[in-house]
Amino acid sequence: MSLSRTSSLARLAGGVALAAITAAGAAQAEGTVTIGRTSDADRYDPQRSSALAAAEVLYMMGDTLVTLSHDLKTVEPALAESWELSDDGLTYTFHLRKDVTYCDGKAFTAKDVVGSMERWLTPEGPYVSAWKAGTVDSITAPDDYTVVYKLKSPSSGLLYQMAQFNFIIIDPEQAASLGDDFGVKAFNGTGAYCFDSWTPNDSLVLKKHEGYAWGTAALGNTGPAKVDEVVWKIIPEEATLVASLQAGEIDGTYALPAWAFAQFEADPGFKLIQPVASFRTHYVGMKVTRPFMQDIKVREAVSHAIDQGAIADAIFFGTVKPAEAYYSEDALDFDPSTDLAPFAYDPDKTKALLEEEGFTMGSDGFWQKDGEKLALTYYGFNTSREQAEAIQGDLRKAGIDLNVELYDSTAIWAKLREQTYDLYQMDYPYLNAGDALNLYFSSDSIPSPNRMMWDDAETDKLLAEGNSAVNDEARAKAFMALGKHLHESILWKPLLLEKPTVAIGPRLKEFQPAGISGAAFGTGLNLELN
Amino acid sequence: MTDATYTGSGSRTWRRLRRNPMVTIALGVLILIALAAIFAPWLTSFDPYETALRQRLKPPSAEHLLGTDSQGRDLLTRLLYGARTTLLIGCAGTAFGALLGGAIGLCAAFYRRLDGVFMRVIDVFLSFPSILFGLSLAAILGPGLDSLIIAVGLSVMPGIARISRGAALSVMAQDYMDSGRSIGLPDRSLLGRYLLANAYPPILTYTTLAFGDAVLLAATLGFLGLGLQPPTAELGSIAAEGRSFLFIAPHVSTAASILIFVIVLSFNLLGDALRDAGDRRAS
Repeated sequence: MSLSRTSSLARLAGGVALAAITAAGAAQAEGTVTIGRTSDADRYDPQRSSALAAAEVLYMMGDTLVTLSHDLKTVEPALAESWELSDDGLTYTFHLRKDVTYCDGKAFTAKDVVGSMERWLTPEGPYVSAWKAGTVDSITAPDDYTVVYKLKSPSSGLLYQMAQFNFIIIDPEQAASLGDDFGVKAFNGTGAYCFDSWTPNDSLVLKKHEGYAWGTAALGNTGPAKVDEVVWKIIPEEATLVASLQAGEIDGTYALPAWAFAQFEADPGFKLIQPVASFRTHYVGMKVTRPFMQDIKVREAVSHAIDQGAIADAIFFGTVKPAEAYYSEDALDFDPSTDLAPFAYDPDKTKALLEEEGFTMGSDGFWQKDGEKLALTYYGFNTSREQAEAIQGDLRKAGIDLNVELYDSTAIWAKLREQTYDLYQMDYPYLNAGDALNLYFSSDSIPSPNRMMWDDAETDKLLAEGNSAVNDEARAKAFMALGKHLHESILWKPLLLEKPTVAIGPRLKEFQPAGISGAAFGTGLNLELN
Repeated sequence: MTDATYTGSGSRTWRRLRRNPMVTIALGVLILIALAAIFAPWLTSFDPYETALRQRLKPPSAEHLLGTDSQGRDLLTRLLYGARTTLLIGCAGTAFGALLGGAIGLCAAFYRRLDGVFMRVIDVFLSFPSILFGLSLAAILGPGLDSLIIAVGLSVMPGIARISRGAALSVMAQDYMDSGRSIGLPDRSLLGRYLLANAYPPILTYTTLAFGDAVLLAATLGFLGLGLQPPTAELGSIAAEGRSFLFIAPHVSTAASILIFVIVLSFNLLGDALRDAGDRRAS
């Protein structure tokens, strides 16, 4: 009893506080930009996290050797001014900038790169995503400003991967001395901002890195930062986040709920901005080893029955685009001649295809063949319930019975390794076609993440060709051919293409959001107050 | 004789109940909701599962009396089918809990050797808040109607077991129980015809009260996403799905929450009235 009274009192107090914020308009310190978001990371160590919440802050505190242009198609210099690749595609030589210093004043040298990579690639360590580094043979520093990165097998995607936040160069000495507290109590980086303080689940404060001048020219300001302080503030409740932005308590956020977009769009004091390119695709995967799903015509029939346009317009309030390809048509190495017709919403085709395959309509309104009802099982995340229900509704209208099972994010990964479902729904970020193709379609990735159980010699051959390509043309040729082949095989129903949308308030000048890893505020070099 | 005593107090209880206007209202509301839930397919012309995404979250209108939900389905229809599911889980769960709890309580009072063991187990059950307990059970058993019923049943069971034991112990102290035993009546007849027949009024009262809690627990599990899989309508999950749209379409959560509130309140009023009417001290 006392518990429920306290909680309703707390809620009341929250409401009053909210009203107070809205009424007063929170005054912020001059030179400070406050960014609102809904969740915090457990630590800010680029080698121990795969969370966006960690990536977006780390990009401000540290640099990578190379980065990508706004369209994610060109590799741009960052800590490395230039680089060469040997003819066999195995050895990368990076030439580093000589004017770079850490936040504590220490000069940055090739030893720091080697130290960072050695720590990350420690086999028994608690480090994540090390596959992105390729099959490393050795990483050495012949002098203070040269790094030689040797691979055991060529990896045409390596330079693109190196723009990801896991490749942020840390201070290896600090990492060794702080141990588990690295990225928790302190982080010494070469980034445009320096770690100042962190109160978990409340706020993280960054101060401008004085003297920073090594930003990538192709991405805008090369430094130093134009604001003195950036505060990352955690506001877990979506509605409160919306109210905080309206009240000026925060200056920007990428975490707006879709329903709130329209009101900020209509308000001249606010702007909604998006990166040139940032890729996240939502799709429904089809398990080709299951009885009905073995038949490519049935897969196409299912694909035509789902109206991704309605999902984009209604569930996402038009803030995402309906997709008809496995990865964005703007991504590097997408072949524009790929046939996307099987992925369009067209319920009449569903009917025609199923009739062609010998299905008859049963008295219960569902298709059947040889006395067996066309009933499929679908696994999804419980956070995507609305999408699941919409897909279930669409298939029901088309005469396909969908048994939906939703699981939370802790339980679903184990469930997805089972062979008990026909369809599953997921979304994933990627940099380009090669990144997407490598993640999902190789027979080595069976049963997860190749949950389609797609075991195909042609796919493996083209994938190997693309990965071992030593020039852009050869890589593009192989990946384009593979993309075309996989789209023809109908393994997924693409649903949506999502780009982060940043909402900014009146204090902040409009800027070009970044696209890598969904960390839309990027290095923070382009943040500027009016 | 025992039968006469029990009939006498029963009719007095009934007289008192009928004099209480709250009972009439609560009972009337509950019967109305139950009938509406049972006859849902005949009361509405809408299909509770037919989605129409582009018609979603429409406010109440002449066509859709309570508006539409987040999939564009008629909200009134969803609520009627939702009440069906929620009441079914509540009813079946309480019945299951009452049977199990009643049996444990009576046996604990009758077979004194079992008392210690049974009651310590019940104490363990009682030491968990019922929501936490129901949540963990629903999570362990996985989604499905039967696992929800079991989770709800096991959550209401410990309270009923305690009450039954208390009521049975006072009956056990009566002379007729000793007489029955001394003339060699079998345990089955002693337990059923004498112990249960005389100990049941407080058990019934408590069960009515527990019914409200069971419905609330069922709705809570649905709200927290441990309910049934889509597209099944369930009051708690309708309230939860509307929560994201409180600012732009408040009708979804509001309508579902009001319905849950009315059902639970009616059961509580009924239970309270039953308890007051059965209270001998108040006469």
